[in-house]
Amino acid sequence: MSSFTVVKTEDLDAEQEKGSACVLRGQTSDLGCLTRQDGSVSLSQGDTTSIAVVYGPAEVRINKEQIDRATVDVVYRPKVGLPRPEHRKQERILKNTLEAAIAANLHPRSSISIIIQETEDLGSNLSCCINSSCLALLDAAVSMNFMVAAVTVAMKENSDMVLDPMKRDETEAKSVITYVFDSMKLQVLTIVSNGKFSRAEYKRGLSLAREAVKSVLQFYRESMSKKLLMSE
Amino acid sequence: MAAPIGRIVLPGDTFSFEQLQPPDEHKKILLGPGLREEKAEIKVLRPGILRFRKPAVYWIDCHHKRYIPAKGDSVIGIVNQKVGDIFRVDIGSSEQASLSYLSFEGSTKRNRPDVKVGDIVYSKLLVANKDMEPEIVCIDSYGRSSGMGVIRNGGFLFHTSLNLARKLLNPQCTLLKCLGNRFQFEISVGVNGRVWVKAGNDVQTIALVNSVIVSEFKDNDQIKEMCKRISKAVVRMEID
Amino acid sequence: MRETPLSNCEREFILNFIAQQKRLDGRNAYDYRDLRIAFGVSLGCCHVELGKTRVLAQVSCEVGEPKQTRPHDGVLYVNVELSPMACPSFEQGRQSEEGIELSRLMERCLKESRCLDMESLCIVSGEKAWHVRVDIHVLNHEGNILDCASIAAISALAHFRRPDVSVHGEEITIHTLEDRNPVPLSLHHMPLLVSFAFFSQGKFMLVDPSSKEEKVMEGKMVVGMNKHRELCTLQVTGQMLLLKEQVLRCSSIALTKVTKITELIHEALDKDKQARLKGEKHGFAMLVSGDRVTANRLPTTEVKVDTLEISDEMERSQSSSEDGESQSGNEPMEEQIVATPKESAVEILTKGVGVIGEGGTSTWLDIPQADSKQTAAKKRKHKLEKMEEGIDDEGSSEEEEKVILK
Repeated sequence: MSSFTVVKTEDLDAEQEKGSACVLRGQTSDLGCLTRQDGSVSLSQGDTTSIAVVYGPAEVRINKEQIDRATVDVVYRPKVGLPRPEHRKQERILKNTLEAAIAANLHPRSSISIIIQETEDLGSNLSCCINSSCLALLDAAVSMNFMVAAVTVAMKENSDMVLDPMKRDETEAKSVITYVFDSMKLQVLTIVSNGKFSRAEYKRGLSLAREAVKSVLQFYRESMSKKLLMSE
Repeated sequence: MAAPIGRIVLPGDTFSFEQLQPPDEHKKILLGPGLREEKAEIKVLRPGILRFRKPAVYWIDCHHKRYIPAKGDSVIGIVNQKVGDIFRVDIGSSEQASLSYLSFEGSTKRNRPDVKVGDIVYSKLLVANKDMEPEIVCIDSYGRSSGMGVIRNGGFLFHTSLNLARKLLNPQCTLLKCLGNRFQFEISVGVNGRVWVKAGNDVQTIALVNSVIVSEFKDNDQIKEMCKRISKAVVRMEID
Repeated sequence: MRETPLSNCEREFILNFIAQQKRLDGRNAYDYRDLRIAFGVSLGCCHVELGKTRVLAQVSCEVGEPKQTRPHDGVLYVNVELSPMACPSFEQGRQSEEGIELSRLMERCLKESRCLDMESLCIVSGEKAWHVRVDIHVLNHEGNILDCASIAAISALAHFRRPDVSVHGEEITIHTLEDRNPVPLSLHHMPLLVSFAFFSQGKFMLVDPSSKEEKVMEGKMVVGMNKHRELCTLQVTGQMLLLKEQVLRCSSIALTKVTKITELIHEALDKDKQARLKGEKHGFAMLVSGDRVTANRLPTTEVKVDTLEISDEMERSQSSSEDGESQSGNEPMEEQIVATPKESAVEILTKGVGVIGEGGTSTWLDIPQADSKQTAAKKRKHKLEKMEEGIDDEGSSEEEEKVILK
């Protein structure tokens, strides 16, 4: 048994229960919230929050140097305890996804490191991590081929779908799928799933997520516009 | 549809050549930082404001904290190490720049310049290439220093975002004009986001440092207002 | 990663300025920076900002065996993480000298001051006890991590509630949160650390040094104290000599600081409690106000999917009717896996990840004889799985075609 945190259910925001299940929870972003890094953001989606920071293109350790591209490093830091294999897996997923987005060939022999700190995991943590790291990359103005945005969908036993599920929806659901899209053509970049689902459910989830991801991308644009136009 | 000049663009946005071509004339389009040609389209790589200059130069004005060396840039570096005949200088890029001891005004094999570890140097990038180590010099092509070299005699060095450094280097910079009306000071700004300031006394220096840092997210009227307040505060502090 | 070195000109300027009894950020010698304490949605999650220095502390618990030497006590772990998140010079996984000093001091402050009643954490003597764990994450290093971390840790401990436990003979019940309200830890007092930086052989002293001041200081003294004037920790590092008067002066300054900070912590705890009682919004998401230039806020957005759902419903009904015909309707739900290769929207643009499933029992056995449709579905799944491992040759060659590297 590993150490666990305690969350009272009445403390969770219950907005989803009132509306329909197809609701993205409210999002807030704070770009450049930290000072020592090249890019940093604290992103919250509902009560789930994470902080992502980016260094780069920075000095690379000689054993990791690649002569034709930048080395992308992702570190995921859980809130409780030391990193475990499941966190390594999450790092791997994040790394492969972000490597596709970053134009690493423009900065050879350097490193782009992304560090993500989980600050509150109350459902849809993976999509929050992906979205925050993409925003942090935007904040650091690292060259990217496109942006990435993630949305999580949970399938219930009666094949109902919950968009952007909370922790309880996730545990009750028979499967949870996180879809990651690129910003250009909204094509699927990464899929991470857990549990059993039929193809029809998968496709329904995909079209729901593809619709929802537009508002995530719009949120990116608004956040960046606000910051960049004011510092003009 | 014309290109959204002066508007925010994000990575992944694309333009066709027709969008960027100025209507009246057919000039070659020049793409600056943050833009790239890909599959007969122009693609944005960095988030920022799309800028245009005649005849057909486009670039992205983005908000950076990390410096990426470019040839001919004037930067402020911190001497980090002395290795044989060269100094390793931190200019904030992914790799330390090298600075030969011969690239100072009047230096010869006998007459070595007086540079210590921890000194700050104002210099120009001679070699800046993504595949090579950057090299900086403190002389121009005539062998004169023309303002470059080790910065000595006090003052204070601080770090800003590259955006702010570029704003300070703009000849029409409101902040420096406003401050110049009220204080006497020396300032040298490196495009790598490092700024060195020296004023009449330490209190004034710090006041200048703070006003530069705070000005980042302020518009011109707010800057003028702030300069007024700061000069009053400094007078009060000097009396104390 | 290398940190930007401190130049001689900065060093001289700072030392000079301190000798004039002034500080870079305009504070007086004995001033703290602005302190902000916030709590997360989960209990025992505390976020402290001291100026720009930021620390996150999370308390968690589990039931385990007590230590053999102390069978009647619970266990308290303190874990301080200095990752590259806070400052580029900190390395992941490897503890620096600074990190070790920090975690030792934090342990001393929390464990050896015996602020936490360990006996109340025992469930069955010698067999079962609560293990309480405090994880401290440094998010941003702008000087004086230590004070910030100690405030975060003690506030998190005070904020934390553990599940209630009842023992009836041999039977131990850990009550769920719905069942019984969780109970707070019993904290006897709140020890806090206050750091002092010394310059010019202890001639000048500063409270709450910033990161630049920390770089040029000669020595540091850390005083751990609670508001009852009880000294919990004292440590002097660096090469300097201190007079007796200096030490006494520091301890009296520490007392005033500690009293003030303790008040602030109680205030923050109270505020959080009120907000929870009223059912107001709280947690970290509330820290970000939309009025700042760099901050943005988007309210809950409803995703319109009516049209989509209808089309999907149609597809689904079609597919099920198809199934009904071919399989004469006696197949389980899995039969909804219908291969529709025409509309496979999954085109991998560049290298990505596809992870299907997370292990567990195999469901393939449940499916009767594989017909052609199922094998097609199987293949597709297989392909995705392969892509995860990055050994799919076909996939990778596709990538190379799509991405033009210049």
